[in-house]
Amino acid sequence: MTQKTYSYAAALAHALDQAMAVDARVVLLGEDIREGVFGATNGLAKKYDPSRVLDMPISETAFTGMAVGAAMTGLRPVVEIMFCDFMGVCFDQIINQAAKARFLSGGRLTLPLVIRTTMGAGDGSGAMHSQSLAHLLTSVPGLRVAMPSTPADAAGLLLAAIADDGPVIFFEHKGLYAVEGPLDEVIEPIPFGEARQVLRGSDVTLVALSAMVKVAETAADTLAEQGISADIIDPRTVSPIDMAAITESVERTGRLVVVDEGAARCGLAADIAAAVQQQAFAALKAPVQMVTPPHTPVPYARAAESAWLPDAEAVIGAVKRTLSQSIIGSM
Amino acid sequence: MQVDLEQMNTWLARMLSIRYFEDRVAGARDKGLVPGLPHLSHGAEAVAVGICHHLDADTDRITGSHRSHAAALAAGVPPVQMFGELTGRHCGLSGGMGGTQHIIAPESGFLCSNGIVGAQVPLAAGAALSAKSLASGGVAVAFFGDGAINQGAVSESMNLAATLGLPLLFVAENNGVSQSTGSASVSAGPGITARARALAMPAEQVDGRSVVQVSLATERMIRWVRDSGQPALLEAFCTRLSGHFYGDGREQEGEHPDDPIMVASEYMLKLGAEPESIKALEVRIGEKMDAAWAEALASPPATVGDYQAICGAIGL
Repeated sequence: MTQKTYSYAAALAHALDQAMAVDARVVLLGEDIREGVFGATNGLAKKYDPSRVLDMPISETAFTGMAVGAAMTGLRPVVEIMFCDFMGVCFDQIINQAAKARFLSGGRLTLPLVIRTTMGAGDGSGAMHSQSLAHLLTSVPGLRVAMPSTPADAAGLLLAAIADDGPVIFFEHKGLYAVEGPLDEVIEPIPFGEARQVLRGSDVTLVALSAMVKVAETAADTLAEQGISADIIDPRTVSPIDMAAITESVERTGRLVVVDEGAARCGLAADIAAAVQQQAFAALKAPVQMVTPPHTPVPYARAAESAWLPDAEAVIGAVKRTLSQSIIGSM
Repeated sequence: MQVDLEQMNTWLARMLSIRYFEDRVAGARDKGLVPGLPHLSHGAEAVAVGICHHLDADTDRITGSHRSHAAALAAGVPPVQMFGELTGRHCGLSGGMGGTQHIIAPESGFLCSNGIVGAQVPLAAGAALSAKSLASGGVAVAFFGDGAINQGAVSESMNLAATLGLPLLFVAENNGVSQSTGSASVSAGPGITARARALAMPAEQVDGRSVVQVSLATERMIRWVRDSGQPALLEAFCTRLSGHFYGDGREQEGEHPDDPIMVASEYMLKLGAEPESIKALEVRIGEKMDAAWAEALASPPATVGDYQAICGAIGL
């Protein structure tokens, strides 16, 4: 298989192109997508009929709802909601209309809809353009949620999302768009619910999501120099989530640190921590550690935003905490 | 403009079917057989029948509101499956998983009704986009009430349909009340058609008590929507005869001059119909609905296993 180097953004555009080329029912719609704000739709407006790459008015409710209705009636729309923060505007169409239509139809309707959106802080965009809201969508039954961390995963998961007959929310981290990596010229879909083993280790399991995978890798490099061997799992999709891969790792290491840029409370880190405690409690040698931002809005000022974001140092601190504790020892 | 007795007979039969269907739903709710809050269409039957007369279930798609039993039945959804859905039975459209506010019957052209006021309108825009993109020749129809006109979803969809050029007929059933608040006290400006016209969208008003008038207006507007591929809005005035939801104590008692069934019957008498023939039709439709009700009740209630099977089928 021929491989080339793609940025995360270019990989997404390549996947969209591949899907559109083979299926005329795949249409793109969103704000400014013909121009392309982040590069994920670059080149598609030129290549395809204008009816398949549609710029929308700034009306997230109407165009998201239109995409839901179109998905019920024969199209396979891929919607772009420029920032996941904007989902607040159209949450009804996502959590009531898209998420419930298949169930309410008794399984008769299909709803092949993908909502691509961005997440993530670190670029000074402020509290309404920087959130990571995957946990909100993951909490809604009927939605599948992906949050890829590499160009190859982004492309493969997007192809799988477009082929899915149910609604998928696809979180792209703004800080990853320029990151480069290898990608097959002919992209193969990556099934949802299959985690990626990023690094093999034996002392502690790091489960990291989206841009936090890179943070976990950086932490693991430093830990390795100190003789601590980390196992890194990237779930890639959080609904469904590959708990088997996570518990398998925890059973080998006995210690778990979950790293997520989303909510400190009721978030994905808490969800994964709870699931591991339910499913692999006996394997745990120490309390699960969570590394998340503090439970506040994303601050704007550089120093404050930088402190807000989890970094490798925070991950290393959490790993040291879990290594210094022992459930058995404390009893 | 007149229509012949044969046509009137067909329309009256459809309106009676809707009325008697919902009367049985109300009766069943009194007996505890219908859970939740059934929002009855009493008073809006002529709007549903007059509009659906001009639609093709193979290509056209309707979305309805929380008060859309009438539109669904007028579109041709089988009463047995509707009864089954409202009573949570195996034979229900969705096996009893949806209920009164979630009537889903795309095979009859009725895409879905909705529990959220106004949310069905963007969905109809989607059906119109599919019709346009797939060149099916179909149109979409969004039923909503005067209460929904103040939802952003509705105004946004009107703008979106107009700018994209979507074959979509907006149908505003104006009964003057937003749940129980008078719509006039919460709606600024000269009215619903004025909002459409502000977007250069053709808009008309019609007496929603008269199936004849509704049909005539719809014929014109649907033809225009189909031929031009552009949206239009029809505002139909009607009276809500049954309260916000059945059992809220706001039902109109006795005969009401705005009752579209009475309006149609009187029109037929003027055309020379025999009162006995109208009576006979009422009896026949009543018997049909009794039979449909009995058939639905013969179907077993949905079980936990049915629910789990549906969840499993869609990966939940």
